[in-house]
Amino acid sequence: MIKHVYENPRTHLAITLGVWKALLLREAVSRISAGRAAWAWLLVEPVIHIAFMIVIFTVVRMRAVGGIETGAWLIAGLMSFFMFKRAGTQARNALNANSTLFAYRQVKPVDTVLMRALLEGFLSIIITVIVCIGALFFNINVAPDDPLTVFVAFFGLWLIGIGYGLILSVITTLVSEIGKVIDIAMTPIYMVSGVIFPLANLPVSFRKVLLLNPLAHGVEAARMGVSSYYHVIPELDIAYLYECGLGSIFLGLALHRYFETKLIMR
Amino acid sequence: MIIVDDIYKRYQTDHGPSKWILQGVSFVIPPRVSVGLVGRNGAGKSTLLRLIGGVDQPNRGYVERRCRVSWPMGFGGGLQMSLTGRQNAKFVCRIHGHEADMDDRIAYIQDFAELGGSFDEPIKTYSSGMKSRLQFGLSLAFDFDVYISDEVTSTGDAAFKKKAQDAFKNLADHASLIMVSHGEGTLKQFCTAGIWLNDGTAHWFDDINDALKAYKDTLPK
Repeated sequence: MIKHVYENPRTHLAITLGVWKALLLREAVSRISAGRAAWAWLLVEPVIHIAFMIVIFTVVRMRAVGGIETGAWLIAGLMSFFMFKRAGTQARNALNANSTLFAYRQVKPVDTVLMRALLEGFLSIIITVIVCIGALFFNINVAPDDPLTVFVAFFGLWLIGIGYGLILSVITTLVSEIGKVIDIAMTPIYMVSGVIFPLANLPVSFRKVLLLNPLAHGVEAARMGVSSYYHVIPELDIAYLYECGLGSIFLGLALHRYFETKLIMR
Repeated sequence: MIIVDDIYKRYQTDHGPSKWILQGVSFVIPPRVSVGLVGRNGAGKSTLLRLIGGVDQPNRGYVERRCRVSWPMGFGGGLQMSLTGRQNAKFVCRIHGHEADMDDRIAYIQDFAELGGSFDEPIKTYSSGMKSRLQFGLSLAFDFDVYISDEVTSTGDAAFKKKAQDAFKNLADHASLIMVSHGEGTLKQFCTAGIWLNDGTAHWFDDINDALKAYKDTLPK
């Protein structure tokens, strides 16, 4: 009697892929075309940040850090850190921004988080390339000596961004106060990751503590890829970056699985 | 057929769990029977629709859907406010796996909703009537066996109500409706059976008029 209903049910994989495509396109539209010249702001934010830092370093007449030009050192550090931060922040806010879409059974909270992180990863790479080309006009050479290492560093930082987004999206939905604490903690994290000061200048005992932070490894690895002359810190461990990235993604997926129904409830 | 078996539901608030909204609700909706839900404000009608639609999960008990059930239409649910009607329509086509015949579906939605140029404007500029036109058109563009409507028809004008009714008459041989409405006329037009929600329990009536009568008898005179 109701046989026609199940004529050709889609597989779970087909549904998920359909949802991912729809979400990715939806996010891309609102990220790039929503508001006045939204795409321009994607670029303006990192450019202003970099320009500001370069001015400060010029004022203190620091022309080279760890054997490479200050401009290149800053751009490599900032853009790699942004890879983590942008993917992480966007992914973390995915549940709030997409709560109306959970009216469709097919859309799971974890889908929105993953697709936001994927889109932001794409955008960050495009922006990084544009910034590096733009830097050439100011005689700052950021063309990497070892592109593969740069890619490995960026990819690892992106993985940590996904893990951060997955974990924090669950925690901030369940306990909103924690989100505020993490926002406050973000600036110190930026400082201790060695984005705007060289970790190599610190005493070894102190540096060991800071290098528990996987972001510091990613940022240093990106610089190492940009210039083969860079005096990289001896403790650099790219495997640690990936262990933390995959570990946090695993934990984040587990949290999403465990709290799935609570995330959808209003 | 939809089987609702002994479901309990309460929400988590900032001050611990709320009181039970649904307490041991059980009923079976046979195929092709349109059902109207009646009850006071806060009786749990929308909650029950969300559970039937699979958007939310009961704390205890289960809901079994042996047919394709739409998402619950109503109150702007499922519409992304910053995107246009067309972009929302594309999104819904994609998640339902109609990438290939998307153009036909969108043409149908556009035709049904009769939004004119507003179809390409963001949803946040829509009136509530326009939103319900779009939501109705969206769900009718897909072949469900049961359509869930939460007061969607109440904000539409007379012409839209007529159109929605005609659309459902055409579907009547293979689809049905579960609806919440405070308009008695609307319920009688669309539904045959009724469920009366009272004090967290559900009472099934084979005739919607009996459900309305039972509901009205409890109201203060």
